[in-house]
Amino acid sequence: MIEVRELTKRFGRTVAVDGLTFHVKPGRVTGFLGPNGAGKSTTMRVVLGLDRPSSGEALVGGRRYDRMRHPMREVGALLDAGAVQGGRTPLAHLSWMARANRIGRDRVVSMIEQVGLAGVARKRVAGFSLGMRQRLGIAAALLGDPAVLLLDEPVNGLDPDGVRWIRELLRGLAAEGRTVLLSSHLMSEMELTADHLVIIGRGRLIADTPMRELTAVRDVLVRSSRADDLAAALSAAGGTVAAEDGGGLSVRGLDPKEIGELAARHAIPLHEVTPRGASLEETYMRLTGGGAGR
Amino acid sequence: MIDALAAEWLKLRTLRSTCVVLGVIGVVVALMALLAWYAVRLWEGLPPGQRDRLEVSSLPELANWLASLSLAVLGVLACSGEYATGMIRTTFTVLPSRGRVLAAKAGVVAVVAFCTGLAAVLATWAAGRLIIGDRVIRGQSAEALSRQMPLFLALSLSVAMFALLGLCLAVITRSAVAAIAALVAVWYVLPIIVNNVPAPWNERIGSVLPGALAGQLAGTGNPQSLGGELLSPLAALAVMVAWVAVPYALAAVLLARRDA
Ligand SMILES: Nc1ncnc2c1ncn2[C@@H]1O[C@H](COP(=O)(O)OP(=O)(O)OP(=O)(O)O)[C@@H](O)[C@H]1O
Ligand SMILES: [Mg+2]
Repeated sequence: MIEVRELTKRFGRTVAVDGLTFHVKPGRVTGFLGPNGAGKSTTMRVVLGLDRPSSGEALVGGRRYDRMRHPMREVGALLDAGAVQGGRTPLAHLSWMARANRIGRDRVVSMIEQVGLAGVARKRVAGFSLGMRQRLGIAAALLGDPAVLLLDEPVNGLDPDGVRWIRELLRGLAAEGRTVLLSSHLMSEMELTADHLVIIGRGRLIADTPMRELTAVRDVLVRSSRADDLAAALSAAGGTVAAEDGGGLSVRGLDPKEIGELAARHAIPLHEVTPRGASLEETYMRLTGGGAGR
Repeated sequence: MIDALAAEWLKLRTLRSTCVVLGVIGVVVALMALLAWYAVRLWEGLPPGQRDRLEVSSLPELANWLASLSLAVLGVLACSGEYATGMIRTTFTVLPSRGRVLAAKAGVVAVVAFCTGLAAVLATWAAGRLIIGDRVIRGQSAEALSRQMPLFLALSLSVAMFALLGLCLAVITRSAVAAIAALVAVWYVLPIIVNNVPAPWNERIGSVLPGALAGQLAGTGNPQSLGGELLSPLAALAVMVAWVAVPYALAAVLLARRDA
């Protein structure tokens, strides 16, 4: 459980986070969305005790991060995969972290295997691709087997296999009852991964809703060889019908079952009945006004 | 604290700069041996009457000076590299107590600097004795090790002081370039300025400059340095501690206040 309460963070005259309040609950993947500069990374840094809030607070499991004795065993974080010193090997990089948090050495080795870096465990990070660094960062985040995870754009630079691997990993971790907060700009990926969304813009909360509410069925696309007759019948039954460019009809107010029954009663042949949800991308664009955060 | 120390030790050990600096120290000792060998050749080439005209500066002290330089740079790099890559944030997510991280870094750097400094001085001394033997070359002390040990220990302590100064300056400035520039200013530029201050203040100020402290601590004075020799060993030790404690306190306060 992550609680952000009335959080404000200023950098000089820039207000990066502005009175932000939201909770991230366990057992589901919470997507953290917002345009560039919206304040996502800043919020995460405050949660991790790296940036001091100007006012308000952020707690993990009811406690401040910087009061935790072995934080990696409670919270796993990936902020910036590039933040590794190139001279170290994955083994060395994870070993000092493990030592600092009293995590066993077997865990280091098994995490390296789990993220698929076993072959390069003793190679210097300097030669790694972005995707390999992301994997190393994820290994670090999972090192302490934490109940809470914060990941800032973890799929950047991953190949399709890697993207899918992260998706399944995070969904699995959430299913085990862990708290997962995940930021990303990839809407289609977020749509597949997250159960819940927190959307911010200019440091303020825009939406804090379940994914299915944002992508709920919007209309039904219907095609028929007797489109005009069908449109008349649907309108008479209380539907709102609009002709589409491709020759189909966009129907609101009636569900596919009602549409099918109605067509059968009038003996109108149907070629297609497709319920359409708004994509997350469309809803997101509408909510955030389409432009950048500032 | 043990965890933090162990973690910082692992980090320093696996830092590429550490290997480079330790390699440089090895080269320095080899160079000192070469210098001793060269001095012996010169000495033997001179007619016996002119041999005491040859003077070679003390090789252990020369080695110590180069070791101080290298380890001060290591002190800087032990921290500045983390700021350059952003790894400092990783460090503080792994170990959220910043005071503890600074203390652990300082502890590890101090021990490594002291031990390396002592090893460099002792190795140079041993190599010098072996090569020079019982020839009497001016500037090369032929005294027993036990008599020279106080100076060697004081010199090693000053290596640790410079390394810690480097570390603190790196934390304060968050940049290798700025920290090394500040270090050079304190170490080399300040003595030149102080030297031009009217007497007796040049000596008075000179005696508390970092480069002048090891000699005063060991009670051997500073025959060749610009610094004065006005401090008792105890006072020299106190000043040495102050050269670390003041920057350390500033670094600790800034670290606690600033966003990582
Ligand atoms: N250390 C800093 N100093 C000054 N300003 C900062 C600092 N960090 C962030 N900001 C500013 O705060 C605002 C929020 O930045 P933040 O990085 O949190 O956004 P974000 O939502 O993570 O954006 P992105 O999607 O691009 O990663 C931006 O205007 C940024 O310029
Ligand atoms: Mg960001």
